[in-house]
Amino acid sequence: MNNKIVIGLKTEYLLRAFIAVVIGFASILLPFTSADAGRKNMLSTMMNVLSADNSAKISFFLYLAAALTIVSLVLGVISYLKTGVKIVKAWMFVQIFATFFWTTLLFALKLILEESGIEDNFLLKNAGFGFWIGLAASYCSLVFIMKLAEVNVGYIVLTILGVMWMFPILWILLTSLRAEQGYYVGYFFPKHLTLKNFYDLFHNSAVPFGKWWLNTMIVAVCGCVLNTLIVLGTAFILSRTRFSGRKQFMNILMIIGMFPGFMSMVALYNILKGLGLNQSIGALIVVGAAGAAMGYHITKGYFDTIPKAIDEAAIIDGASRLQIFTRITIPLSKSIIVYQVLGTFLGAWSDYIFPRLLFGDRQSSYTVAVGLFWMTDFRRIDSYYTQFAAGAVVIAVPIVILFIWLQRFYVEGLSGSVKG
Amino acid sequence: MDREYKRRNFITTFTKGNIFSKLSYVFCGLANIRYGQVTKGLLFLLLEACYLIFLFTTGVNLLRGLATLGEHEQGMGYNEALGIYEMQAGDNSMIILLTGVVAIVVTICFAAIWLFSISSGENARFNHDHGHHVNNFIEDVKSLTNENIHFLLLAIPVVGLLIFTFTPLIYMILMAFTNYDNEHQPPGHLFDWVALDNFKTLLMSSEKLSQTFWPVLGWTFIWGIFATFSCYFGGMILAMIINSKGIEFKKFWRTIFVVTMGIPAFISLKVVGTMLGEKGIFNVLIQKWGWTASAVPFLTQANYARVSVILVNFWIGVPVTMLMVSGILMNIPAELYESARIDGASPFVIFRKITFPYMLFVTTPYLIANLIGNFNNFSAIYFLTGGGPMTLDYYKGAGKTDLLVTWLYKLTADTNDYNLAATIGILIFIISATFTLITFQRSGSMKNEEGFQ
Repeated sequence: MNNKIVIGLKTEYLLRAFIAVVIGFASILLPFTSADAGRKNMLSTMMNVLSADNSAKISFFLYLAAALTIVSLVLGVISYLKTGVKIVKAWMFVQIFATFFWTTLLFALKLILEESGIEDNFLLKNAGFGFWIGLAASYCSLVFIMKLAEVNVGYIVLTILGVMWMFPILWILLTSLRAEQGYYVGYFFPKHLTLKNFYDLFHNSAVPFGKWWLNTMIVAVCGCVLNTLIVLGTAFILSRTRFSGRKQFMNILMIIGMFPGFMSMVALYNILKGLGLNQSIGALIVVGAAGAAMGYHITKGYFDTIPKAIDEAAIIDGASRLQIFTRITIPLSKSIIVYQVLGTFLGAWSDYIFPRLLFGDRQSSYTVAVGLFWMTDFRRIDSYYTQFAAGAVVIAVPIVILFIWLQRFYVEGLSGSVKG
Repeated sequence: MDREYKRRNFITTFTKGNIFSKLSYVFCGLANIRYGQVTKGLLFLLLEACYLIFLFTTGVNLLRGLATLGEHEQGMGYNEALGIYEMQAGDNSMIILLTGVVAIVVTICFAAIWLFSISSGENARFNHDHGHHVNNFIEDVKSLTNENIHFLLLAIPVVGLLIFTFTPLIYMILMAFTNYDNEHQPPGHLFDWVALDNFKTLLMSSEKLSQTFWPVLGWTFIWGIFATFSCYFGGMILAMIINSKGIEFKKFWRTIFVVTMGIPAFISLKVVGTMLGEKGIFNVLIQKWGWTASAVPFLTQANYARVSVILVNFWIGVPVTMLMVSGILMNIPAELYESARIDGASPFVIFRKITFPYMLFVTTPYLIANLIGNFNNFSAIYFLTGGGPMTLDYYKGAGKTDLLVTWLYKLTADTNDYNLAATIGILIFIISATFTLITFQRSGSMKNEEGFQ
């Protein structure tokens, strides 16, 4: 056993990586197909696919998985004999691709085998154990080679999770661009791409999406201004000033907050009806602003972390409390303000229950949440699904961009408030 | 003259006060007028007059209506003037209850003003007797930007909360003690007080209601615990991977996951909901890939649906925790890690002995708030499964993935059983309050709010 020391490598993983690659190579010679197809190994399966009349286009996944496993073995032997940083890096990249193609076989194997006539009604669980060993060995090899090359193994987890997280988002993007209408389609990638769904969304008399969008925008912008001001004011008072009844006030707010929010919606609806405010978006703004003070906690927590000495210095200099609020506290709280504005803005786009109750069947007052939900009702989903997807994209894209741009403040706002 | 330098409280103001102080308990603002705050005193008096006029013109009737909730049911009545039977409008219990609640809230407000006027009058007397300056009206208004700023900044929130949160809430709480269900719908039928009957049928009868309540409560707890802790640990692990040494493009990775946070929750839930349908893209794909032979009932079979909602919630919730935890991770002193590494601790030991305890200490309040939030996580359930799959074992409308809140919503929106909805609301309150009390006892940040100042 040669215990070489190479700078930039953790050679204690060399042997493990090498063994994993050998096992990966061995799996190519183990039974690959199901019992129905005679448990052929990977190489002979490849030969069969190659010689089939109409093999699937994606068969190259199979060839590449096998080929790269062999290349990886060769590189493994070389780096075992003549260990060096460059050869290990090359080995790692080959293994990355080998693992990638092994993973794609999870999704493509059925198609490859059935199209080339090797199997009928293939189910993945019936695949030979050579396939599973090969898959596991490719991941083990990758992990060990990455450890050998001192590359963070977290990349594997992040990549897999990233794909999973992006999958629904990719689907809705593709659906919004899909020319074929309807909800039930049997494929992931659209056959034809089009922008017609977006056009229809804004030019369909049955679905006044433009109006909904405008309504929501008005609610969101007004909410941002009013709610943020109210929350800042309340949080400032509760954090920076002391007056009799303060604790009691906070307790009452907490108790009210523990009742489920829409428990009182029916009553609220009746009150608004009495005030003549129902079915108007004004009511939505007023109610939103009226309840905004309940969400003071995070902002108060943030204000609590601003040193009191600053206020005291200002008082000595003759500033009034209002001046402290407007000239000192607010300028110091950029991140919590952004957090608050962002939260209110997002909330306006996703608030569903109360607008639904408030607007009833008056479509012209709907916000996008109510409208889009209306479109996915089971009676309409088939005719509106692609437009629904387009609507979702139209809403989500600006918000996502805003969110990504401002996420720093979001984190700061949150972590400023959480303390031990 | 013997002056006492101790401030008087609400009772001693009356017992020790002079005739003006005593009379100001009946005529608000009298003490203020006597000691030089004429405008303020007159304002108090005016408010009192307004309240009394309200009380004696309509208020008494409204409050009396609360006791009976209406006596005349709508129906055929004999009209003596015309000598015929005709349809007569009856009382509307719902409106009687609502206006009664409004009268109560107005009374509470006046009580607050009354108390305030007494203490304000006493202040004026105190300042006057001790030769201090007694503020005139303009100075009082000016003090709103300084020592009395809480009146200025809290006025709008308090009024808003009173009208749009407090009043409806009282109304709804009272409803839990009536029989306002789908068989007692005003104006056709009156409803009445039934004391604790709703709680009894919901909690301990052998009826279907009780047989629905307990399983739904059980699932609410299971859901809350799984949803909270799966996202908590998932987000923590993800944040630790992204923040670990040797990961390049941290911002890129974070952004990938944050994208799901930027999309309004109802959209992502609705989209995933359609993807998980029987003919949705997930089922299409897994059959195409040869993972299963037939469609998986992701949302239509009770146990699958329960696992599905927890997984989808994981997808939505992990980025939120990830962002929050990222901020905290950076606050953990680096020396702790260094010394642990020098002592030869493995990454797992470092996590178990340093990262996790620190994280748990800092995030306990968040965790409890999140748990309560998940018990009441309406959107995750409603947009995904709508509470389904439906079952005949449950009271009409409730399904196997219904939480207490979604059931509450269905009871008001679909079946008009307002009394049951209100009762469930109160029970949810009791659950939330219990957990909040636990937080209060456990967490330093709530007890010691000035710790950082």
